[in-house]
Amino acid sequence: MDVRAHVSVIFHLDKCIGCHTCSVACKNVWTDRPGAEYMWWNNVETKPGTGYPTRWEDQEKFNGGWKYDAEKKDIALRCQNKADAFLKLFYNPNQPNLQDYYEPFTYKYEDLFTAPAGDDQPTAVPVSLITGEPIEIKSGPNWDDDLSGSPIYAENDLNLDKLTEEERAQLFEIERLTMFYLPRICNHCANPTCVAACPSGAIYKRGEDGIVLINQEKCRGWRACVAACPYKKIYFNWKTGKSEKCILCFPRLETGQPPACFHSCVGRIRYLGVLLYDAEKIPSAMKVSDRALVDSQRDAILDPHDPEVVAAALRNGISEEFLDSAQNSPAYKYVVEWKLALPLHIEYRTMPMLFYVPPLLPVMGKSANGTYEHSADNFFTSLEDARIPVKYLASLFSAGNEQVVEAVMRKLMAVRYYKRWQSVRDLAENDVHRILREAKTTPEEVEAIYQMTAIPTHYQRFVLPPLQREEAIESTCSPEACKGCSGFSLDPAFTPRA
Amino acid sequence: MVDAFFFVGLPYLAIVICVAGCIWRSRYDRFSMSARSSQFLEDGKLLFGSLPWHVGIITILLGHLIVAVVPRVWSSLMTIPAVLFGVEALGVACSLLAIAGLSALIVRRITDARVQAVTTTMDLVVVVLLMAQIVVGLLSAITFRYGAAWSAGTVVPYFWGILTLQPEMAYVTGFPMLFKLHFIGAWVLIALVPFTRLMHVLAVPLGYIFRAPQLVLWNNPRRSRHAVDATVRAESRRDFIKGAVGIAGASGLLALGVSEKVLTYFKGPDPDPEAESALLQKKLERLQQTAEERQLELERQRVEMILVARYSELDAVKGKYFIDYAMAPGLAFKGKNGLPLLISAKCTHLGCTVGSQVNAEGQIMCPCHVSYFNIVTGQPNPGAPAKLPLPHLAWALVDPSGNVVASGRPGGEVEGTPSPELLAQCSLYITKPRHSA
Repeated sequence: MDVRAHVSVIFHLDKCIGCHTCSVACKNVWTDRPGAEYMWWNNVETKPGTGYPTRWEDQEKFNGGWKYDAEKKDIALRCQNKADAFLKLFYNPNQPNLQDYYEPFTYKYEDLFTAPAGDDQPTAVPVSLITGEPIEIKSGPNWDDDLSGSPIYAENDLNLDKLTEEERAQLFEIERLTMFYLPRICNHCANPTCVAACPSGAIYKRGEDGIVLINQEKCRGWRACVAACPYKKIYFNWKTGKSEKCILCFPRLETGQPPACFHSCVGRIRYLGVLLYDAEKIPSAMKVSDRALVDSQRDAILDPHDPEVVAAALRNGISEEFLDSAQNSPAYKYVVEWKLALPLHIEYRTMPMLFYVPPLLPVMGKSANGTYEHSADNFFTSLEDARIPVKYLASLFSAGNEQVVEAVMRKLMAVRYYKRWQSVRDLAENDVHRILREAKTTPEEVEAIYQMTAIPTHYQRFVLPPLQREEAIESTCSPEACKGCSGFSLDPAFTPRA
Repeated sequence: MVDAFFFVGLPYLAIVICVAGCIWRSRYDRFSMSARSSQFLEDGKLLFGSLPWHVGIITILLGHLIVAVVPRVWSSLMTIPAVLFGVEALGVACSLLAIAGLSALIVRRITDARVQAVTTTMDLVVVVLLMAQIVVGLLSAITFRYGAAWSAGTVVPYFWGILTLQPEMAYVTGFPMLFKLHFIGAWVLIALVPFTRLMHVLAVPLGYIFRAPQLVLWNNPRRSRHAVDATVRAESRRDFIKGAVGIAGASGLLALGVSEKVLTYFKGPDPDPEAESALLQKKLERLQQTAEERQLELERQRVEMILVARYSELDAVKGKYFIDYAMAPGLAFKGKNGLPLLISAKCTHLGCTVGSQVNAEGQIMCPCHVSYFNIVTGQPNPGAPAKLPLPHLAWALVDPSGNVVASGRPGGEVEGTPSPELLAQCSLYITKPRHSA
């Protein structure tokens, strides 16, 4: 057993209101620079929708992720092999270009003040942030925001392909259009394709916390990672000629603060905690059939309360303080204990370490007499007629395995019915307990889920491990000599102009 | 003086700038090192520029590199006409491919507004220089054919002379202007490497071929105390086993070879009688053949005169080859005075056969290392690899009835003045060299 620790993330989609505060916080901290204007390390998509970059899930086009060979039971990069990777240095056919994202723009605000007097109001025309020339804005980072049901955007969502005509019609029924929000950051995968594809060996996973980083000094701009990442969460900086990605705000994590997008989240949908996993299981975990992938990933995650695991972790140099935060981790509760959080598109087989609690609302199906049914009897039959089809959610969160998503939905629903029965008492106690049984849960677990979902404190949502960066730095050089040579440099060349 | 600057000074300047600059940049400005791809901004025209350009130029540069690294193997390969023609054709094709690709890239860089946003002055300088360099290279390859064959004896010694700090610019000073421009262009481009995007050439990610797919880095000092120690122990054990197996294998092979030799020494050779007799027979045949050849040579040397050609076959520009008394090649020309001019064709540098064509300066050239010899004086051009003159040979003109009508000595003394009508009927002989004593 090779125990490793991973700082993992849960996004509770039922709580996301799609306000983009996370995106803006991230933009202000990290990507408000020349060459990075178009990057949104954190973005929020409307689902059903095409996302950012447009149709990033289309691996027929972008060739991201791992390809599974069912006969050999082996996986290989979809975008390149070791030979043609060298030809792709000169031209990478899988790389998304500016049109797939959007051309970054600003407005010529000074024209409002300097325009000569005339008959018309002066206007601030949009100009490209790349060429400086006036442009017609054709798209933006959240261009299909709230546009569920639109034939241009939502209809082109790839996850709808598996739905029947009837289910599609139901999804886009006028006045009952359904959508939810999907915030996305780098998944900091346990089996990342970007690392495997990088010709220069500039991308690496930090051993202590699993954060995937790009060494900007080693990166030579070959762009293989941009093509290889199936989530399109690596961005090419056109100005510096280097690739960049979400760094999970490691300078904040190392000083005991949650990442900027987590801290600013209005809906408090984000949780952060340590997961322990068995690195020996990683090579084989993603070499199973699509349906078994979610369980296979859960299998590789270890119980932090198991004395054997604790002993093996201590042997591997994971500190006791780190293990404490692993034992209190909301991520372990959501992913393994409650089995509520699922990885996004696990069929890309990168083993993402960011998990989503699928959205429950609005789950109700057909209404009778203009009101939705709320009786305990027909709830589970109506799950099949849910406004967001289970098939659609399964395509996103469980590689098409509907049973996995159904189990999550039943448990989420059970929590809701139990709490309603507790406070409103309009349901029969027997029915509620039957619902709990069918959802394979208990009143204690339901209370815990409710507590963590609805009324958690800051320190319950963010159980930050002590990263002990100071120890790591001291072991290589004295703090006095090291001033400015780790983390973000104090080199005057890198400080922003006053 | 100018030559000394361009062919000795400039190369050293370029190498020092390139090496020092690259070290400085990779130590103090690593962040700036990037291929600086603009595919993100424009990826339609790029395909038709970048791919042909890189494929073409890499093939050509590899060709240049191979001939420099293994000149002997290379030039022996080039003696096969099919290979020589193939290599020349490939070179021209790849140059054209590279020129087409580079042209597409230049047009794209100039016309596309987004690409212009990431274009620096140095980018333009580099692109123009590259274009000039490759056009000059192609022109010189077409004008002076078969460079693939002769460069191994001229450019390569010059190049190694530079690298081994024994510069010998004599190899290249006699070169045509096109070649000189190509050399100068190459040194200028090498000097520019650290200051431009050209540096990405040095970043070819060959390590990727051997690298494991995943890369995990640890900063945790606790881990270095426990897990890393264990890993190091396991790895050193593996290394030790690998080394021990290797040494054991090698010693086994060695012992096998030695014991075989020792055994044959004590047992004595034990050949198959039939094979032995066949071998002896073959040896006898070869000896006989050698004896006959020697006999023929001797008889030839005893003869007073050897026929070279009929007088009417001689020409002032195109020499006629023959074999002289010493079994060495010679060339016969019609001299300025209408009388024959016979000169040895064995180069005084390393003994190659000198070419038969006289150039405008009245010189014949040795193709091996490019020495030019004046046919009247026999002297090599200054700076040529050959230092000694080619000797002239004695000759005699004999009329159809067998009378010697004229004869010449190496010094230039001529006896007899036959009329032109008589000359036309004469045959040319070489006469036995006499010791001047």
